[in-house]
Amino acid sequence: MDLKELYRDVILDHNRHPRNFGPLADASHHAEGNNPLCGDCLSLALRVNGDRIEEIRFEGSGCAISTASASLMTEAVKGKDRPSVRQLFERMHALLTQPDAAPDPALGKLAALSGVREFPARVKCASLCWHTLNAALSASAATVSTE
Amino acid sequence: MPEIEIVGTAAHKAAVLSFTMQGVHAHDLGTILDADGVAVRTGHHCAMPVMTFFGLPATARASFGCYNTEEDVARLASALRRAREVFG
Repeated sequence: MDLKELYRDVILDHNRHPRNFGPLADASHHAEGNNPLCGDCLSLALRVNGDRIEEIRFEGSGCAISTASASLMTEAVKGKDRPSVRQLFERMHALLTQPDAAPDPALGKLAALSGVREFPARVKCASLCWHTLNAALSASAATVSTE
Repeated sequence: MPEIEIVGTAAHKAAVLSFTMQGVHAHDLGTILDADGVAVRTGHHCAMPVMTFFGLPATARASFGCYNTEEDVARLASALRRAREVFG
């Protein structure tokens, strides 16, 4: 286990200075994500116009992996339409869970999270924000849990 | 280490030590300590109400038994310093 593979500079930076962090006043979509076993909680607010995410912000508390993952996710999906976000979700899922996943250039900075798959206990930290985003974009669920 | 805060300071405390490190979330501490061969528990410890009471999202917890040696304690201390280094 190489800790530098997990705590890459990009991740440490996004943990220290999370992007798109804070409330969003005119949100059209909203969801809460909880990881009850470890206490991580995430609140995601989006402004969706037509099919496109115009604005996205998050709040909450969690470890470096969960904070950096949420921060990187907001950067990656801002301005994208639903089908593109869905595709990114699938690519992230593969990155975090498939041991031999090949490098995926479409992921850009999100690829910094590839080290997480070597630490099975931490996969949920990185995936919480993505499941919360799914919930926010689907009208049905307002709260997701990793348990 | 000044950035470590011990939670629970009863006079006749049992040999369990819950603590937080400023700037390093307990789960990250757990992973880094684990990589150095030190096992601690992290998170809510099945005690969410009391964690809410203390206003803490999570703590790390080291437990000591009669089989632990001073060397183990030194290893915990050095792993904590390493966690501090990783997070800069």
